[in-house]
Amino acid sequence: MHLPGSDAAPSAHAVQGRVARLGSAIHVEGLNHWYRSGRASVQALHRISLDVPAGGYVALTGPSGAGKSTLLSLIGGLERPQQGGLRVGEHNLTGLRGDALAAYRRGTVGFVFQHFGLLDLLSARENIELAAALASPAPDHRRLALSLLNEVGLSARAEHRPGELSGGERQRVAIGRALVNDPSLILADEPTGNLDSESAMRVLDLLERIHSERGCTLVVVTHNEAVAERAERRHRLDDGRLLS
Amino acid sequence: MSWTASLTLALRSLGRRPGRTLLTVLAVALGTTLLVALGSVASTAGSRIVSKLNNGGPGTAIKVAPSQADSDQAYTDDLRATTPKPITEASVNTLRQSTSITAVVPVMAAPVLVVSPPFGAAAAAISSAPAFNNTMLGVDMRQANNLPITMLAGRLPGNASLDEIAVTETYLDHSGMSVSGVLGTLVEIAEPQAFQSQTGIQFRGRWIKATIVGVVSQQVGSGALLVPIEQTRLARQWALAGVDGGDAFPLPTSPYSGMIVLAASLDQLHTARQAVTELGYANSAAEHLVTSVLRYLRVVDIVLAGIGAIALGIAGLGVANALLAAVRERRREIGVLKAIGARDRDIARWFLLEAFGVGLAGGMLGTLSGLLIALWVGISVNDYLVQQGLQSIQVGDLSWPLLSVAIGGTSALAMAAGIVPALKAAQLAPREAMAAP
Repeated sequence: MHLPGSDAAPSAHAVQGRVARLGSAIHVEGLNHWYRSGRASVQALHRISLDVPAGGYVALTGPSGAGKSTLLSLIGGLERPQQGGLRVGEHNLTGLRGDALAAYRRGTVGFVFQHFGLLDLLSARENIELAAALASPAPDHRRLALSLLNEVGLSARAEHRPGELSGGERQRVAIGRALVNDPSLILADEPTGNLDSESAMRVLDLLERIHSERGCTLVVVTHNEAVAERAERRHRLDDGRLLS
Repeated sequence: MSWTASLTLALRSLGRRPGRTLLTVLAVALGTTLLVALGSVASTAGSRIVSKLNNGGPGTAIKVAPSQADSDQAYTDDLRATTPKPITEASVNTLRQSTSITAVVPVMAAPVLVVSPPFGAAAAAISSAPAFNNTMLGVDMRQANNLPITMLAGRLPGNASLDEIAVTETYLDHSGMSVSGVLGTLVEIAEPQAFQSQTGIQFRGRWIKATIVGVVSQQVGSGALLVPIEQTRLARQWALAGVDGGDAFPLPTSPYSGMIVLAASLDQLHTARQAVTELGYANSAAEHLVTSVLRYLRVVDIVLAGIGAIALGIAGLGVANALLAAVRERRREIGVLKAIGARDRDIARWFLLEAFGVGLAGGMLGTLSGLLIALWVGISVNDYLVQQGLQSIQVGDLSWPLLSVAIGGTSALAMAAGIVPALKAAQLAPREAMAAP
């Protein structure tokens, strides 16, 4: 498969070694959020206020059901904030919806999921090309995909499908895919949750290298204290409330 | 997301569940097969019937008698004759001027004595000689294709031939011959002439021998023998050279014993009949019968189309069901695609292209198998017709409108069936990307 790419998008080589530039600052103020469970409405977040500086590296920790992933999905524009303020860089997410929210995700955010989120029916290169095609209509996505695979150390595995890759390799492909739009904010939801400790450390090293080289803001949701300790700042949530 | 990327995703998705994809394609193909097979068979049969009605069949042919029409002639298909009215060259030429008439074919009948084999000494050994009185019908063989004549076996006599003849099944009944056995045999025919002798009116015959080259079913007139009009013209001249033979063999008065008027089309049949009636001739045509036949053909078309549509509808439900299952299976994938920037319409396009792919594959497969079935039916029908000694029909004609409607329509139907699943997929929340495995 050849998915058309973008000349406008910077190649991985182009950004390597570049002086860190400022990522997106996150400003959360009095954020409340509910979700429906059957007929009941459950409050997932209670008056969350949080500031992450541009180019910061933050870990969100807490037990299951604490609201970490909900907060991450709100910051990433996967859901619209229901009450309170939420700004990411110049984007006021409370005012965005539909295609505008999709454009925000496409242009600003790079997601890394615990389950990798790769499409099984596409190869590693094609997964990245697809994301590149979504990010930009310009051609030459293949060159960008190969460049990013090189950046995450997987050039040799470009034509392998996710099922043929190890967990660590899949997560590195997913990180490469998150970089296609040169995001100013990378959101990682339990990025090491499905990995052995060695693979987990390699993935974290990669994320941190990208964070420092590209200057993007990095938010990591994790249960793992060892992972959280590597962040510049840690925030703990419990029962939808920010404890620290 | 580009169309190329959407198409790639759709095709790869179809390949992910080959069993389900195959079954869905087969369901669509089955519906299309039914539609195409029924459509092809109905189209061939319908066009054949209409063709026979139009071209020399009873449909556009108006039989004109050498008689005056009564006042009710215009309101009935039947012949309403009163007093004799000769059919002359002038009448023929007048009708030929009408724009609603394509051909006027005069018919000249002659009474004859027919003797079938065996002849001579062999005949003497047979107690009852196979001879009978009948009528010989003469037409311009160059216009035989415009006449209500169906070949059952052999061929028509050559144009202006005086030694070739075609017979009807009436001759076979009298001679005891079969359709296949009669071809190539001789028949002896006596054209009578009355003459005045010292003892009163007597009769003599102008004897001819002719080879039977064909067996026909015809509605040109009442007679067991069909010959070129040159033959009956000689018989008429022979009869006119004699005297009036009374009730048995009166002298012919009308130059022609009848004529077949062909309307330009079924739609023009009524106008053509009016022209004949206004000229004063009694006539008959299957005007109302044809209308009824065409209506019934239309009803058959509608019923068959309905059956095909039901089959396609079921196939469409199959497509919708398969895609809904796919949406359920791919919730997280859809969420991930949205998380990395896909818009609702990108997701919808992915599923619609998948539906289109199923429809296109099923449509092409179904059209091919439908045509093969129609071809097989046509060949079987032809075998039957040949066994019955009837003319075969032409099979294997491709109806391009039917093919394009079948393939295009099936693809469109599959896409329509995919609309609901595509919308459901498009409306899934991006948060599905965060869902647990």
